This record gives sequence, C-alpha cells and structure tokens, in this order.
Amino acid sequence: MNHMRVATWLVAAFLVAACGSSGGGGGGTNSYSGKTIKLGAVLSITGAGGVYGPQSRDGAMLAVKQINASGGVNGAKIELTVEDDASDKAQSAQKAQTLIQSNQVMAVLGPTLSNSAVAVHPLAESLKTPILAVSTTGIHIVPDCKFPETAACKFVFRDSLGEQTAIPDNIKAYSDDAHPKTGVLLVAQDDKFSSDGGKIVQQTVATHNIQLLQTIPFSKNDADLAPYVTQAVRLKPDVIFITSLGGIPAKIMSAARNQGWQGQFLGGNGFNTATVSKQAGAAGKGARSASAWYIGNDFASNKDFVDAYKKEYGKDPDQFAAQGFTGVQILADAAKRANLTFSDLAGDREKLRGAMESVNIQTPLGPFQFTSDHDVKQTVWIIQMDGQGGFTLVKKIDAS
Amino acid sequence: MDQQILNAIFIGSIYALFAVGYTLVFGILDILNLAHSAVFMLGAALTYSLVVNHGQPFWIAALLGIAASALMGLVIEHVCLRPLRRRHAPPIAALISTIGLALVIVAAVEQGKSGSLFSWLWVDGANSVAFPAGTVPNPTWHIGDLTLEASKVLIIPISIALMLILGYVMRFTQVGRGLRAVAENPRAARLMGLDVDRMISLTLVISSALGGLAGILFGLALGDISPYIGRDNVEVRGLAVIVLGGMGSIPGAVIGGYLLGLIEILALVTFGSNARGGVAFAALFLMLVLRPQGLFGTRLRERI
Repeated sequence: MNHMRVATWLVAAFLVAACGSSGGGGGGTNSYSGKTIKLGAVLSITGAGGVYGPQSRDGAMLAVKQINASGGVNGAKIELTVEDDASDKAQSAQKAQTLIQSNQVMAVLGPTLSNSAVAVHPLAESLKTPILAVSTTGIHIVPDCKFPETAACKFVFRDSLGEQTAIPDNIKAYSDDAHPKTGVLLVAQDDKFSSDGGKIVQQTVATHNIQLLQTIPFSKNDADLAPYVTQAVRLKPDVIFITSLGGIPAKIMSAARNQGWQGQFLGGNGFNTATVSKQAGAAGKGARSASAWYIGNDFASNKDFVDAYKKEYGKDPDQFAAQGFTGVQILADAAKRANLTFSDLAGDREKLRGAMESVNIQTPLGPFQFTSDHDVKQTVWIIQMDGQGGFTLVKKIDAS
Repeated sequence: MDQQILNAIFIGSIYALFAVGYTLVFGILDILNLAHSAVFMLGAALTYSLVVNHGQPFWIAALLGIAASALMGLVIEHVCLRPLRRRHAPPIAALISTIGLALVIVAAVEQGKSGSLFSWLWVDGANSVAFPAGTVPNPTWHIGDLTLEASKVLIIPISIALMLILGYVMRFTQVGRGLRAVAENPRAARLMGLDVDRMISLTLVISSALGGLAGILFGLALGDISPYIGRDNVEVRGLAVIVLGGMGSIPGAVIGGYLLGLIEILALVTFGSNARGGVAFAALFLMLVLRPQGLFGTRLRERI
C-alpha cells in the first residue's frame, strides 16, 4: 500500500515535470539545458580605442556572468570570447573572421571603432552571422553597412547612439544655453568615426547661427598637436569642436587651456568615457557631449547594473560598459526566443537574427527596441566633464 | 615672436637630435640605419616603464633608457651589420636587415602586456600613454601671447649642448679622428692600425644613445609614448632632415631638423593643416632634384 502511494506520487511528479517542459516548449522557449551559446566580441582593448574597448568588454562580461549565474538562456550557458583588434582595421577583420569561421560563434559584438566596422560588418553580413555594434557611432553603420551600396544589411545591428543624432543634439543644447557665435573644428581626418563627426558638425553649425571660422584637420597619428591648437586658439572662437578619439581630445583640451583659451569644448562620443575625462583633468571641466547613457539614472535596470559593475570591478561604469552589457542582454533575449537547434549553425544564426529584430527589454540604456533600420532609438543625455574624471548631467533630450 | 615659431623650434629640436644619430651612422658607414626610429621608441618606452611600472625616479629611468638604447646600438651592429660586412654584402642588404630589426623591436613592444614575455619592458600593448603629471616639474610661463612649457623649453638647450659636444668630439679628439678616418676609407684606416670594428660599434652606440634620448624628450614634451611613435613621427621626417642637411653631415642634420620644423609650420599656417604631413616629402623631393648633396653635404662621388 505504502509502496503503491510512493509510486503514484512518483508517476504524478514525472507527469507534472513532463507537462511543464512540453508546455514551455509550446510557448516558444525550448529547453537548451546542457548547451553552450558561443558568442564572440572584437574590441579595441589596446591602441587608440583602448580608452573605450576595455569597458565594453567588462560590461559584456558582467552580463554573461549574471545570465549564467541565474540559470543561463533557457538553461544554456553563454560563452563569450573577446579578441583585441589593437584598434587596427585589418586585425579587426581578421579576428572577426576567426571567431565566425574557426570558433563558430553564433553572433559577434563589436568592433569598437567605426573605422574597423567598415571592414568587419560587411564581412559578418557576407558570412550570414549576426553582428551587434556596441560602440560604433559613425555614419553608414546601419542599415547600409556596405556603403556606398545602399542595400540594407540584414545581419548588422547596433545598440550605440549614432553621431548623426548625438552631435546635433549636443550643439543645439549648448547654443540654446549660450548662443555662441563662432567655432573652430579640430578633426582627425584619417579615422572614420572622427571624420564623420567632423562632417556632422559642419552640417549642423549653420542651423544654430554658429560661424565655423576654420576646420583644422590633422592625422590621428600626429603626436605634436600644439601647432593645430595654436591655429585654433588664435582665431578666438567661442567654441572648439573636437571630433577625434583616444587620448587626443584630452591633449587638445590641455594644450588649449595652456595657451590661455577660455571657451567651450563640444565633442562627440569620443568624450564619453571616464578615461578621457580623467586624462583631460581640470582642462576638460565643462566639456560637453551627448551620451547614450548617464550613470545617475535611477530606473531599476540601470541602478542594478551600476551597483553590480561597481561590485565586480571596483569602479564606476561608463557609457561603453553600459552598451556592452546591453549588447549581451540583447543577444541573450533573442537567443531565448529563437528556438535554437544547436545542430545547424547557419540556421541558428538566421533564427537569432530574426529574433533580434523583435527585442523589447529593459536595459541600463532604458527600454530597448531596434528601429526597422536595426538602429537604436533612445533618450539622449547631454553630459559635461566635471574636471575630476567624471561627468555631470546637463540635460535630457527625449527621442524624437 | 609667434607661438607657431616656438612650436617649430620645439619639434625641430627633436627632429635634429634624432637626425644627428641617423646621419652619424650614414656618414661613417654609408648605411641607412632604419632601426634608428625603433631605438627612438624603445628609449621612450623603457623610460616610461621604469618610471610608471617599476617606480624609478625619472632621472634614473632616463639614464637607464639611454643606456639601453646605446646597448641596442651594439645589437644593431652585431646582428644587422657586422655579419653582412664580413660577407661583403651590398649596403642595401644592411638597410633591409635594419628594417627587419625595427619591425622586431616594434612588434616586441606591441606584444608587451601584463603577464606576457615582455611585460618587464612594456605593459600597454598598442596603447598610447604619457608620463604622469609631475614626473618632472613642468611649470608653464606666459610671456605676452607666448606660452612656454618647461618640458619643451628644456629640449632646446639639451639638444644644442649635445650636438655641440658631438661636433667637438668628432673634430678635435682622438676618437673623432679615428671615426673620420673610418668614414674616409675603412681599409686605409685598418692599415694605419685602427680597430675599425670597434670604431663602428662606437658610432652605433653614440648614434643610438642620441636616438633614445630624442625619444625620451619626445615622450616627455608631447605626452605620447606608444610602439608607433618612431614610425609615425620621425622615421620619414628624419630621412627628409638628413637629405635636406646633406647625408652624413652633422651640422647639416641640426640645421635640417630646425628647417623641417619651420617648413612644416609654415606650410600649416599658409596652406592649412593638411599640408603639414606632405611637406617633408616635398622638401625631400625638391632637395634631391635641385641639390642632391643637401645644404652641407659634399658633392656625391662614386667611390672607385
């Protein structure tokens, strides 16, 4: 009798468990337990992009750790392989190719720099592998990754805020506040991100009645920036626009302040990391840029992220960390809904790509969805350097 | 005086100091040592590592950096030049072997990351770094419209003093006479009892020490130290400088260095900043067409 009861309970328990799993399957969430979702990231850990890439990596790694600790993606563990492209376009493409073809990753994050994206994104597109840009902000990243070809790239997405939105927002915000009359643009002409930013500045200033006195192009490899800064400062502009990356904006700020110039620095995404703010120090105080993220946002998905990041790495996250973290969240959410087979890689990549288009999740950047162009649509935060390696919020601009 | 002229003199001093080492080797060996720009970078990188990663005071680090650069001169001689000389290889072979060594040095530094084989030398990979503020006192003076930074002003007397000392050594000392004898005719010098190999080693040591020092001053004044500073900033310009001044001429390299600094700034002010990069090539080309021996060079002659 007793045995019968135990047996009945066992059968009942088994049936419930079976129903549970088949019910889940019916709802679109297959069990992936025991499987591994292989992801890759090509980031600039060293070189000019080395002031951004490490934070992207740390943010992404934190997301992987959190997701795996809370049971993975329908039971599957995420395995993220990060490769350093040394901020070099050719290395970037080569690392991406290795990840896609040898490591057989399901999707790739990156690359850090727009200059490398022009090589890496078309490659991922041709290899039919989803690639999610987490920091590239240049023109023609999505959807027309093969520019000047205009056909939309199906496999290329980005969660970073394009300079075509960010720079005009930043200039508008400052000219509403201070009505500057004149500006000079310092632009690193041999880098896609920087030269794209320069073009956007040139196109935007006139609508705010700012006269661009001179555009001073230079090379990103030039160590001696003093002559360019001297040229800019002697025109006594109200604003110096800097579109460049790595340590260059900080060096320009220091040199300009050293030469006694007191005006306003306006820049782009290149400013948006604590590393640059720290390098600029007091010279950077007040320098403004438009950011995709602000540390002080206290909605839960950001607050939890900031707390976890601080606990993990012992320092504040920055925009690049938030975008890297969001990148993994997006891929994990898409993978959860994609009914992956784990036997047909090409098919799984296509399914993942499809699921990415309908992502709708809470992230440190706010509620996240892709536009039909695979781009991000989000609130923009105008921030300024605080002179001590951090940033303060100037104003918030809602997505139009 | 104008801030831009000051800018030109600062950078010109670095070009001159770099090119003096370049031209010294050419004057004596008739060989272009293309590893010179790698030594320039190595001096800066090692000094930076000693200060930041090994906690040494700047002055000690700089002396060690210069010593290591000098030692690198011996490596260039023993690895790239002497074996080829023994086999009577043409100068082009030596030129190519120095390019090879330069690539090796740059790649070794580039691979330097914490935990790697070269982490004692460099941990910043492809990154560009700068000496932390306060490594050397760097007051800034404002005189009228001019801004003078101590770290840049310092370069000028150091460069000029070193170049004067070198000029004195070459002209008035026993060693200088020996070096000039080797430059004139190595075989005759050997017959006169000079140890030619030793003289050549000495040349490379002096040249590389100057190159390393130029790198250290560059890193200090411009706040940019990376595996690529030699390649990107002084390699081709150094070549332009010694062509301008006259291949093998020390006073020529000095004047050529300042001249290139001035020409670059003049081009930037007159034609816009785009012109700066190309002007070194233009100067090199024009000089080769109009006066192939350079400003101070003796007329080129084929040796029989």
